[in-house]
Amino acid sequence: MLRSHNDAHNVAILCKQVTKEFYVFSHRTNSLREWFIRTLQRKPKKLGFSSFSIKKFDLCVEQGDSIAFIGLNGCGKSTALRLIAGVYAPTDGTVQTFGQVGSVIELGAGFNQELTGAENIALYGAIMGLTRKQLASKYDEIVAFSGIEDFIQLPIKHYSSGMVARLAFSVAVNLNPDVLLLDEVLAVGDQAFQTKCIERLRAFRSEGGTMVVVSHNFQLVSQLCSRAVWLENGEIRMIGEISFVLEAYQQFSKNDVK
Amino acid sequence: MDPSEYAPTTSQFQNGRYPIFRKIWRYRELLRSLVIRDLKVKYQRSFLGLIWTFLNPLLTVAVLIAVFSHIIRIQIEEYWAFLISGFFAWHFIQMTLSHATTIFANHASLSRSVYFPREILILSTAVSKLVEFLIEIIIVLIVLLVFYYQWIPSSLSLLPVLIMIQLVMVTGLMFSVAVISVLFHDVQHALPIVITSFFYLTPVFYPARMIPESVRPFSFLNPFSGLLELYHQVLYEGGWPSIQLFGSVTVYAAAICLLGYWLFKRYEGICVEIA
Repeated sequence: MLRSHNDAHNVAILCKQVTKEFYVFSHRTNSLREWFIRTLQRKPKKLGFSSFSIKKFDLCVEQGDSIAFIGLNGCGKSTALRLIAGVYAPTDGTVQTFGQVGSVIELGAGFNQELTGAENIALYGAIMGLTRKQLASKYDEIVAFSGIEDFIQLPIKHYSSGMVARLAFSVAVNLNPDVLLLDEVLAVGDQAFQTKCIERLRAFRSEGGTMVVVSHNFQLVSQLCSRAVWLENGEIRMIGEISFVLEAYQQFSKNDVK
Repeated sequence: MDPSEYAPTTSQFQNGRYPIFRKIWRYRELLRSLVIRDLKVKYQRSFLGLIWTFLNPLLTVAVLIAVFSHIIRIQIEEYWAFLISGFFAWHFIQMTLSHATTIFANHASLSRSVYFPREILILSTAVSKLVEFLIEIIIVLIVLLVFYYQWIPSSLSLLPVLIMIQLVMVTGLMFSVAVISVLFHDVQHALPIVITSFFYLTPVFYPARMIPESVRPFSFLNPFSGLLELYHQVLYEGGWPSIQLFGSVTVYAAAICLLGYWLFKRYEGICVEIA
């Protein structure tokens, strides 16, 4: 029902005037003693002061579109991605996503070192919201894609970091969500695996999947994305066709170095 | 993908358009996987496996029985039966609450990476402890049936209801402990002391009738007092508890659960960010 309603617009992600404010604690830890003292002194009840991360962020991504977030460290790329993923709730404004959202923001988050590769695939699938039946139908594909069939029954603490990354990425890309969010996770594995990942993501796009990528690898995003958003201090500095934005950003970076 | 299996959008979940039980049902697979993970990780690599879970409370029980039936003599028949009928419920409360303090921290990277209802984290911890408790209570029942009961008391049929009430109460407390211990790190240090104090203040190893008349009403302000009293009446005395006691413990548990859930919903967002 929802889908048909939105088919008219074909919108996958809609952010309206999104603002995200974080509580930043003025000390290393937040302690009960401090809270009591503040309460007694009738200082503001808020636990810390807030800092803005995203300000009045507007974005509309259509189905099948692929968009890159670029910008300096700390400009709010990951926060924007987490807001779209629904991990953070916006302080103000609305974020809407249509369809199933798969997010790979920290590679291997939720993996457990003691469990085997196979068990971790099941766990990760469940985290992504898959039922057991759905996962079973994709299991072989995931294992084959990861290329670590021989180690799949070993606890992943015996894996190399590259193998863990391969496993996590294989699960994420083979789940076929409607909207895929990737945060700087493409730079995993060896050259061969990277090429395979890029091919898989292109196939995902051509099947009508929507993608948002955060990356500093411009060569990669220009292969994968059609549009780019350049963020600066939590605000959109430029949005448009990928090569155009990348060029402007690179020009800016060069000037910055000088 | 089958359209009926189609996940509602994350924003719909957050707006609360979906009631909690539907949310949990949608993510039942995650709940199941997390429970299995907890149990597997805990047991598969230790040599004695499951036995360790029971050895720990069993040793405590042995010490308590030795002390309170031979040194400080508590005037109660078959003290060991009295003790085991309530002790494991207490052990469950203790384990779940001390685990609740670290739930957000333990799942920080996961909950910052993928959306899922955060309630699942609390519930999966509660359920995995419940599995251990159920095994313990079954052993207790077998021991009581073999060595203590002359006949099977009809009050045992209340036990499942009792366990449900206990689960509701403990889940509510876990909701609040989980968020409060992220907001105030002190709670992690304070909670063990609080739990130890409650062990002595709650009629776990002594009957509620030993509490002086003058302070007994106050002792029932402690939510665990009523619960433990119910366990003692149902398992040890083998009688039906009064409707007043049963009703008040149920209401108390429901109130704790609602309050805890309210606190949790209010602060879970901040907890995900700062955990």
